Amino acid sequence: MQKKGINRRQFLKLTGAGSLVAAAGTIGGGLTLPKGLWAATPAIKGPIKIGYQTVLSGTLAGYGEFHKMGLLMAVDEINAKGGIAGRKVEVEVRDSTLKPDDAIKNARYFVDSWGADFLGGIDSSGQALALAPLMDKLDRVLIVTHAATEKLTEDFVYRKGVRQIFRNCMPTYNDGNAAAFIAKDFPAVKWATVSPKYEYGFTCWKMFRETLTKLKPGVSFTAESWAPFGTTDFRSHINTILDAKPDGLYSTEWAGELISFLKQAKEAGLFDKIRYVMLPVGAAMDVLEGMGKDMPDNLWISGRYYFQYPNNKTNNEWVARFRKRWGHYPAYVSETAYSCVYAIKEAVEKAGSKDTGAVIQAMEGMGMNSPAGHRVFRKEDHQAIYDVPWGKTKADPKFPFKVMGDMKVLPAKEYFNRPPFEGPGTTPPFK
Amino acid sequence: MTESRIRYAVLAALLLALAAVPYVSGKFFVYLTMRVMLLGIFAVGFNLLLGQTGLLSFGHGAFYAAGAYGLGLFGAYVTPNPLLGVAVGIAAAAVVALLVGYLCVRHTEIYFAMLTLACGMMVFSFVWNARSITGGDDGFIGIMRAPVTLFGGLRLPIGKDSQFYYFVLAFFVLAVWVAHRIRISPFGLVLSGIRENARRTEYAGIPVRKYRLSVFVVSGAFAGLAGALEALLESNARPFMAHWTHSAEPVLVSLLGGLSSLFGPIVGGAFFIAMREIIQRYTENWMLGFGVVLLVVIMAFRGGIMGAVENLFGRRSAGAGR
Repeated sequence: MQKKGINRRQFLKLTGAGSLVAAAGTIGGGLTLPKGLWAATPAIKGPIKIGYQTVLSGTLAGYGEFHKMGLLMAVDEINAKGGIAGRKVEVEVRDSTLKPDDAIKNARYFVDSWGADFLGGIDSSGQALALAPLMDKLDRVLIVTHAATEKLTEDFVYRKGVRQIFRNCMPTYNDGNAAAFIAKDFPAVKWATVSPKYEYGFTCWKMFRETLTKLKPGVSFTAESWAPFGTTDFRSHINTILDAKPDGLYSTEWAGELISFLKQAKEAGLFDKIRYVMLPVGAAMDVLEGMGKDMPDNLWISGRYYFQYPNNKTNNEWVARFRKRWGHYPAYVSETAYSCVYAIKEAVEKAGSKDTGAVIQAMEGMGMNSPAGHRVFRKEDHQAIYDVPWGKTKADPKFPFKVMGDMKVLPAKEYFNRPPFEGPGTTPPFK
Repeated sequence: MTESRIRYAVLAALLLALAAVPYVSGKFFVYLTMRVMLLGIFAVGFNLLLGQTGLLSFGHGAFYAAGAYGLGLFGAYVTPNPLLGVAVGIAAAAVVALLVGYLCVRHTEIYFAMLTLACGMMVFSFVWNARSITGGDDGFIGIMRAPVTLFGGLRLPIGKDSQFYYFVLAFFVLAVWVAHRIRISPFGLVLSGIRENARRTEYAGIPVRKYRLSVFVVSGAFAGLAGALEALLESNARPFMAHWTHSAEPVLVSLLGGLSSLFGPIVGGAFFIAMREIIQRYTENWMLGFGVVLLVVIMAFRGGIMGAVENLFGRRSAGAGR
């Protein structure tokens, strides 16, 4: 995969340039004076500072680069148009290294030393859960843009009342519940999995099993094969699955490991023997581009955002701008990073303040338009509700990689767990 | 003034400076100072094994994790009293160290290092896989800082970082003092003897293996203390605390600071954390810059930073004296 990197110097230049444009706009025209609610209340002092952390080292560093592309686009666009409530946006990006203690240290640095007004990013669930209990002490709004664990919003926001945490990316509900809604229409009754041997893999498979059993009594789950983080040789896992002779395969493998798995499974003829394959994060751009034409057809894939959905002006124009600037199709983390900054903009301008309490109040239940479509931050658990498609891989002469065909879009409301998150009527299907 | 008086004056000044940190600096610096003290406790204990006895362990992360999970589990199921929790953390680490040490101390050098590495990674896998007890890779989350209760009546809150700082500082001073006492005790002398020549020490009628095991357990207990304090600081315990990459940290900071002195590992730890923090502000490729700096320091200062400082002062005082 060809990567168009950004180094810190370029990055500074870009943000600096953005602020110059903004300054020129306000001095020169006098026409770009702030309007709206915040015009009457110049209570916001100084720039709006966003501390963003993502993985920039190690094998998953490519994800961090995609985060940064979306982030910088949003910051530059907003600054060029006068900033947030007339204030310039400043961001600093730090390497989260995927380690929970580094996530905590970064957050403390951002808030206590750099003076961040907002926090964003976070890739791994472990990091999100480690940081969560600290958020009421740090008392800044954190928008999680990649970590998917439902515990973050169910346990910390809803049950423990850590109201500073928001999430604008898809949680595990799409990987587990939505996959089951898609799978129920297949003739397959025997299912198996090859999934990551950590919380994410276990949780999704459990959710998939439970929801599918409710939707289609009589299905059975015949084999599980757990691949530890860093697995490169999937042959034994593939053999376990082939021996069990299932009708369907479900896998939450992701990124480079999913690519290795798919290539090895293809060689072993797995896709000839198993007709129904579900990959909840298979529609990630690194996987689609990484597999290229080798991606088998007719695998069911999804993601937290997919660049061809929704097929509307906002999204298509954004994808075009993104391609023009970075030479890539946006990955889902690019979209969530981009929308994270816009969510902050909407909330601050709605609240007329950047104080945490006021912003939280503004964000609860707030709706916003974004490339991924309309998002609403659910009041109870601060989870953004928006729709993402599922579809089957197919070749398209316009793209050098396989794309998503036969798109099916389930309304997120129908498969997101609902507060109070325990007892009957909180998990799908809903009546 | 005699040399010992100067030393006491310097120590008192350092202690005062440490105690003043929450009053004179920002929150983030307070936090970083706590991290330095935690790494200091970890490394000072570790150096009893490496610098004093000449045994290189690559498994001390396991004891660190035992301390952290010990405190976490005790806090969740028995009582959240932080002093008891720390005691339980230390005890848990000592027990794990006893088991691991029993297997490992019969070997030395590379065999010892590899055995400790293997045992440490076994503890890591256990913590990773025992999801119902430890929370698996999500870590053990939600550890709370309950107030310290002393003598039934006195309640000291440690919820805020500026309060918790003194909790850490007290244990840091205690740990350094204990390590100092061990180093100058007859027990410490025997350890030095084992480092210099184990066979000769054995011929002097000393049960070398028992001494190795004892110091292994003691240094494991130090690691447990550091782990328990970190669990309180960060409100969580993580499987990667037991990973060998974490076990390598005290090795590195001991080498950086100097193996032969008490304060070497602490200075190394402070340097390690400060350098990383500084470099990270200038570049996202901080790992590269950090590696280069570490390489230069380790190559240029044999005997570590403290070794270099001692050389400097040794030369100067020698010059002044004659």
